Amino acid sequence: MVKPQTLAPALEYPTISREEILGRLRDRALVIVNVMAPDSFNAAHIPGSINLPVADVEAKAPRILSNLAQEIVVYCAGPT
Amino acid sequence: MGYTNLRYYIGGMADWAENNGTIERSDATLAAPHAISAPPSNDSRRFAWLEMLADLSLEKLVGVWFGMIIAFGLVYWGAGIGMGWGLQAGNTPVKPDLNGLWTAIYFSFVTALSIGYGDVIPTGALRAFAIIEGAAGLLIFGCVISKLVSRRQEQLTEEIHRTTLDDQLDRVRTNFHLVFTDLGSVQQLQVERGVLPALVMRRLESVVRVFRGELQAVHDLLYRSQVAPDEETIESLLANLVICLQGLVEINDSLADATSPALKAGLRSINTLANEICGECVPHAYTPALKESMDQIQALAHRIG
Repeated sequence: MVKPQTLAPALEYPTISREEILGRLRDRALVIVNVMAPDSFNAAHIPGSINLPVADVEAKAPRILSNLAQEIVVYCAGPT
Repeated sequence: MGYTNLRYYIGGMADWAENNGTIERSDATLAAPHAISAPPSNDSRRFAWLEMLADLSLEKLVGVWFGMIIAFGLVYWGAGIGMGWGLQAGNTPVKPDLNGLWTAIYFSFVTALSIGYGDVIPTGALRAFAIIEGAAGLLIFGCVISKLVSRRQEQLTEEIHRTTLDDQLDRVRTNFHLVFTDLGSVQQLQVERGVLPALVMRRLESVVRVFRGELQAVHDLLYRSQVAPDEETIESLLANLVICLQGLVEINDSLADATSPALKAGLRSINTLANEICGECVPHAYTPALKESMDQIQALAHRIG
């Protein structure tokens, strides 16, 4: 059957600046999601971010980020 | 996936690191600690034997504890035969005979339990052995006690989870029944009069709201419940969902454009929620029959909202 649509290409989403993330590192209302593989995540990630590899997004996102209105920032390795 | 407040940090890790952003490293992820087993760090390797001890079952731990005490007892006894420096009771050395063996094991227990009556004392190198045994005895005994406590606690948490789940399921079932009955009477009114009076419309709105809440509960149950209910329970819940949704679809169809904004909004959010209940999307694997009724729910949801 039809699945709900998955994460659309990143370009469709508004972006967030480095400064804003830096200023809001301790803000619990902002969830920072790292979509890299667990190994890369373990090696280095923005403090306080959670790991949700792209491959697992569909399976795990509803459980980890159950609130659809949650303020979320997504990032990966670099500007790709 | 329906997230409304999502933003993208284009620079990513490269930009972050380049501009001296603080970087955090970790051994396990915050969100999914069970997903990856990190290589043990230096610290945990140093205390590997302690971890191994803590991982043993309660029965094995008690066994290890008794085994250690008996083994040390034999060492105390054997030291008396071989080397000549053994235990002393009062001022006389303990003889290496059967009586002496009992005394040695008795001393071993007294030491391991850190009682230390002092009626039998170690001499020479046995003093070091006695201290080692005392320390090891404390450690193992501590593990036994913590095992006992945590086992009870695990049972309790499980029980709490189960009772809250049961309560929740009861509520969901009752409310579904209520929604179903209400939908039936609204439908009857509609057949009799053709147009719904404002009062009935408000009633319908509140029914839709209750239904939405319970739909959310079922949705959560399917998606992030730690204690997944058995398939029979889910089956009955889904069957209830289907019946109520069917009623809603029928009413919605016959109402056509005569709906209120609040009703429309309620139906739309039901549509969104129900859309996510499909056999392919839920994280657990269920039997084909369950998947079928999930797909049925999804199909019905497309017809409202």
